[in-house]
Amino acid sequence: MIEIRGIRKAFGPVAVLNGIDLSIAKGEIVALIGRSGCGKTTLLRCINFLEDYDAGEIKLDGEVLWYRQLETGERRRHSERDLARQRQRMGIVFQQFNLFPHMTALENVCLGPRFGQKLPGPTAELRAREHLARVGLADRVNSYPAQLSGGQQQRVAIARALAMKPQVLLLDEITSALDPELVAEVEDVIRALTQEGIAMVLVTHAIAFAREIAHRIAYLAEGQIMEIGTARDMLDRPRDPGLQDFLRRIR
Amino acid sequence: MAMTLSDLWVMTQAASLSLLLALASIALGTALALLLTPLAFAPWAIARMLYRLFIFVVRGTPVLLLALLIFYALAAFWGRISPYTAGVIVLTLYLAALFAEVFRGGVLAIPRPLWDCCKSLGLPRLSILRRVVGPLVARYTLPPYLNVCVMAVKASSVLSIISVWELTLASREIIERTLDVYRVLAVAAILYFLMCFAIDRLGRRLEIRLAARGFAGERL
Repeated sequence: MIEIRGIRKAFGPVAVLNGIDLSIAKGEIVALIGRSGCGKTTLLRCINFLEDYDAGEIKLDGEVLWYRQLETGERRRHSERDLARQRQRMGIVFQQFNLFPHMTALENVCLGPRFGQKLPGPTAELRAREHLARVGLADRVNSYPAQLSGGQQQRVAIARALAMKPQVLLLDEITSALDPELVAEVEDVIRALTQEGIAMVLVTHAIAFAREIAHRIAYLAEGQIMEIGTARDMLDRPRDPGLQDFLRRIR
Repeated sequence: MAMTLSDLWVMTQAASLSLLLALASIALGTALALLLTPLAFAPWAIARMLYRLFIFVVRGTPVLLLALLIFYALAAFWGRISPYTAGVIVLTLYLAALFAEVFRGGVLAIPRPLWDCCKSLGLPRLSILRRVVGPLVARYTLPPYLNVCVMAVKASSVLSIISVWELTLASREIIERTLDVYRVLAVAAILYFLMCFAIDRLGRRLEIRLAARGFAGERL
């Protein structure tokens, strides 16, 4: 469903992504692991075009996203409208929940459907309520982010991403900023989503969780995918020496 | 000769004119600043340069000089102009520069991840402005904005130099007539203080109201 080919990205002289190839099937869950600074978050941001990339191509259901190739070989960004439309086909959840602080949980979740997808107000609100209920926050719809715990805020952020009905969910270390006792409630929400067959790409340091839900795990180092395979192969029989070392360190 | 009760009455009238001048300039200056601030973030270098030039000139000039300059320049090129019109123009330009910088600071204070959220939700630019940037900037910048509003009341005294009859000019007239220097100046000071205090109170109430709507937020 998602085809990533030869993505390259440099910040000034520092190459962060050195030609990433990755295909994600419909309903597949892929976990990206690796040392901090290996480029996994940058890759995730490139997929959603929150970061532009220097070369390569990202396709979603055959449609080339973000850039179009001119006949001269140059590439141009799509128009803002097209970019917005394409971004709406993905949802992203960040490490720091990033809710809009001046809006209630309901308003946060409503915003995308109402003004991004231009649904009529009542329809958008109904959808927002549904998704807040789905993450177990039906009774907190009118709370402001500051009145919610970290775990609750992150669940609102997940509901906000899901309310756009995305084809794929991008999760960027969504439990790293949480107190340990709040991690479980967020992981439960994600676990429930795996039953619904939505594709996910997650950047994570929670190896046990990745093993549990991911169909495949990709190990990134120096801006490349050094090894990719099923969770069991990757974690129990790692071949790449870097990965072996990485797994030893975090266990 | 001591100042009389009718002098006091005259001074309150002059004070209300000062307040009126300040309020009109605050309203117009805010409107102008709302047009200016987007220039600072425009994708075109020429727009950003124009913005910086405007701020540089207006903020870098003493208001007194600005008042004289604009009054005489307008009079020379436009023919006779009422000092009141010129006064409002001067204060408007001055406040617009200060407000625009306050708003610019507010936009810069929006955390980058929130911009990312707007983008990934596919919000159109106008919605981002209305639903996110506007409300956040309003909350971030209310205290410095009020600061400038209070300054506006006091800056209006400068307009006495171009013969705008407001509290400072009226006080000087009364002093010249009565020679009751200290009492008149003390009354003028009290009147200025009351006006500033009123703005301060009003702002504080607005802040509390915004805080009640989710913005005590980060301080809870």
